[in-house]
Amino acid sequence: MSKARPERPWLRLLAASVTTLALAACGGDDAGTTESAAVTEALDNSAEVQAYYAANPDFFIFKSIADLPADLTWESGAELPEMGSPEARKGGTEYRALQDFPRTLRTIGPDSNGGFRPLLLDDVEMRIGFRHQDAFDFIPGLASEWARGEDGKTFYIRLDPRGRWSDGEPVTTDDFLFMFWFHRSPYITAPWYNNYYSTMYTNITRYDDLTFSVTTAAAKPDADSKVLELTPKPQHFYSEVGEDFVDRYQWRVAPTTGAYTVREQDIKKGRSIALTRVKDWWANDKKHFRYRFNADRIHFTVIRDTEKIFEAFRRGDLDQSGLNLAEYWYDKLPDDAADVQAGYIHKSVFYNQRPRPNMGLWMNTARPLLDNLDVRLGIQYATNFQLVIDKFFRGDYNRLQSAQDGFGEFSASGIRSREYDVDKALAHFARAGFTERGADGILVNADGQRLAFTVSTGYQTMKDVLTILKEEAARAGLEFRVEVLDGTAGWKKVQEKQHDIHFAGFGVFLEMYPRFWEHFHSDNAYDDAFLDDGSINPERKIKTQTNNLETFAVFEVDALIERYRASADTEEMIAIANQIGNILHDHASYVPGFYQPFYRVGSWRWIRYPEFFNHKHSRSSGQLFVHWVDEEMKQETLDAMKDGKTFEPQIRYYDQWKE
Amino acid sequence: MFSFNPQTLKKLRRFRQIKRGYYSFLFLSVLLLVLAFGELLVNSRALLVSYEGELFFPTYTAFHPGTDFGLDYSYETNYRELKAHFAAQGGNNWVIMPLVPYNAYENNAQGGMFKPVPPSLDNQHYLGTDTTSRDILARLFYGTRIALVFALVFTAWVYLIGISVGCAMGYFGGVFDLFFQRVIEIWSNIPFLYMVIIVFSVIPSSLAIPSRIGILLFIMVLFSWTGMTYNMRTETYKEKSRDYIAAARILGASDTRIVFRHILPNVLATLVTFMPFVVVSAISAITALDFLGFGLPPPTPSLGELLKQGTANLRTAPWIVSAAFTTLVVLLTVVTFIGEAVRESFDPKKFTVYR
Repeated sequence: MSKARPERPWLRLLAASVTTLALAACGGDDAGTTESAAVTEALDNSAEVQAYYAANPDFFIFKSIADLPADLTWESGAELPEMGSPEARKGGTEYRALQDFPRTLRTIGPDSNGGFRPLLLDDVEMRIGFRHQDAFDFIPGLASEWARGEDGKTFYIRLDPRGRWSDGEPVTTDDFLFMFWFHRSPYITAPWYNNYYSTMYTNITRYDDLTFSVTTAAAKPDADSKVLELTPKPQHFYSEVGEDFVDRYQWRVAPTTGAYTVREQDIKKGRSIALTRVKDWWANDKKHFRYRFNADRIHFTVIRDTEKIFEAFRRGDLDQSGLNLAEYWYDKLPDDAADVQAGYIHKSVFYNQRPRPNMGLWMNTARPLLDNLDVRLGIQYATNFQLVIDKFFRGDYNRLQSAQDGFGEFSASGIRSREYDVDKALAHFARAGFTERGADGILVNADGQRLAFTVSTGYQTMKDVLTILKEEAARAGLEFRVEVLDGTAGWKKVQEKQHDIHFAGFGVFLEMYPRFWEHFHSDNAYDDAFLDDGSINPERKIKTQTNNLETFAVFEVDALIERYRASADTEEMIAIANQIGNILHDHASYVPGFYQPFYRVGSWRWIRYPEFFNHKHSRSSGQLFVHWVDEEMKQETLDAMKDGKTFEPQIRYYDQWKE
Repeated sequence: MFSFNPQTLKKLRRFRQIKRGYYSFLFLSVLLLVLAFGELLVNSRALLVSYEGELFFPTYTAFHPGTDFGLDYSYETNYRELKAHFAAQGGNNWVIMPLVPYNAYENNAQGGMFKPVPPSLDNQHYLGTDTTSRDILARLFYGTRIALVFALVFTAWVYLIGISVGCAMGYFGGVFDLFFQRVIEIWSNIPFLYMVIIVFSVIPSSLAIPSRIGILLFIMVLFSWTGMTYNMRTETYKEKSRDYIAAARILGASDTRIVFRHILPNVLATLVTFMPFVVVSAISAITALDFLGFGLPPPTPSLGELLKQGTANLRTAPWIVSAAFTTLVVLLTVVTFIGEAVRESFDPKKFTVYR
């Protein structure tokens, strides 16, 4: 159709501008708009920071080294074994892929919590100390030693005098004071951090440039981790933090205490980014670190499609690829694949031990029907996760028993998830009034109400799992309406408590004990859930934006959780955790799904791992950077591929930590 | 008595002479007919069950629990197992299964694992199974049916709205025309696929799947009707200025009569030629949406979803993508052939350079 009609110019202009508006509204703010040229004016917040310290004299305490308690028992964790392998060689370039270019290089604030942040902060940046990934005890990072105070909640830290930021500045106590100001500042627009750094800690005391203490709010058994896992913030770099922090620091690379940093010239927006090993890294020779962070460069290419990433790996453009899904391990890169049999690609399975993400179905008990215990029990028996594990994951995964698995004694109450049993499910549904099957086999009650629930998820990859569950549930007269959303939409849905049943798992940190408050305290379910006498407040309103996905509110559990949170006694906490575990099991509002007791990876021959492959608590093969790139072997392999020479195939099982 | 005018008859004759288009049309008609009674051909429910001297026709009835046939479960009977069961018993009971004894939803694991299985006559998965062991032929069959029905309903609505608005614009002209031109300009500049994705993502999924498909249809029509209007508008403008319209008006014919009795019949010939291409674009759009994961809600069978699975398993399960791709190509080619034939037969100039 022709658009070359005579028309009044102003009309066209109007049409054009309205369209632009509509497009802008759809597109959202992307990286382009935040790079405004206006943020050049220099700022200096040091006066503001000093004023903040002065205004909070109870939190920021300044003493002299003479005031340091004399009778402290200093620990250093130096006796714990090395991590990584002495055989590791430094050098070489590793090639990896990213599915999405990082939306920002900030490690805090809007859009910062993406897939690239662990490579800037969590897995790379040095903390005061780290949990040894075999022993669970702490090894020194930025600290040379530390001591627990008499009150059980104050920790005294002596910094390693060698500690340096990647720009050469020394790491001092002031960076830790500043860390508190930074994380409590409204400028960073990160409410979670604001809250955490305001409530978890009660003070930081400066003794000298390299000595300070931090006090946590409660003398919990793992209070040491709350202090030792802190990462300082470089005050000299963040001196321009102010109202426009989010924009100003969008693409600035912060100096790091860790082994890798991003160089300005390696940022190719939307296409690639690279980590480069810090020249003369201060911890090069430090025990526990000297055999890790081996590659000189880690180059990331943006490839959006998972399949393409895998194909790039098969071509040798990428060095490694996760093979966690059964279809990759068995079908797409089977043991008899030519490259595997020729020994060019190695396959490795490593069984790890750590708290497991609690993948499962979270029922929103505030919804009609789901508030009925019998309906929930029926759903438990009608959900055939075992079939998914046996047939879809080919028996590789294990069934979760509760939402708090993998915490040792804290999750040892002996509760077992309920098996798939159509008869038991039907019996429970019948008790809830669903006795008749409709024309399509779905149960209906006397009012003609169908036994149907929406099961939503934010994981596109889990679509098949849900369709299998749906087919199985239909046998028990239960209908699951599957809704597969993209990650953000799925998360938004549960945060607004708009879901019936949601399939998700919360990533769990390597911690000593499970958290209950977030998921099961009534504070996170309703505003004023109960009246003072423990009866239900008739005017309570559902609270959104919390992780209590079940809208779980039980008065006695509240009391238990509060005791658990206040307790400093490990034995008591174990008892309460198991007691809560039993109550949750009886409440039946969470259907435990599955977990993966291992990780699997395919790697080209020149990517080498220690003899033991990796450490007990590692989350993935790359997390601890114990592998290295052998450039000579790479050349040898590439030549061999040209000449048709083959090597011994390597399919390795590391089950030393298998449970 | 309804009769075609000689002009139309000539066009139809011409259409029949264009063999490629005519046979495509016949093929598509037969296909639609087969699809309409698809449950008799591709279904996990038996065509006929004879149990204890009684006959059952489960295809179109309410579900039969296993207990109806002496089995020990209360959920829907597995008729394939029932057939084997009866055969093993050796009594007078028997089951006749459809040609393809699977429905589009069931996970029928061959060898105990949910994974793609290559086509095989033995297990009656004639086109193999997909990643969760569902029969590809069944999914293609019902996916095609949904896509075709969707495309036809889509076309009907787009035409209805497009013709009404376009005709009104052309016939009334003036401010009305000017206003709608601007509305359409703005509206048609909104990127169609993005808008469908955005709007459809906020549709609550608590609705049943048919109503969600209906909403998707509505949204797609909402952003697609504009294309039709300009053709209609110019055609109406052209016809309106002809002498016979002026004559009709002088005779005192009402606006309604002029539009419906005089303008529309003369304009429709042009519009009909577009129709197959609208169908093609509707099928492509719904497939594209499904491929991107924003189309028909899972587990609805669809061509796009199969294509997506196929491309993800190109190396390990090439039969998925080849089946879906072939179907899509055949479908689109057939409709395009029909479209070309219609256009040619409606072309007043029989001998033109644009052959």
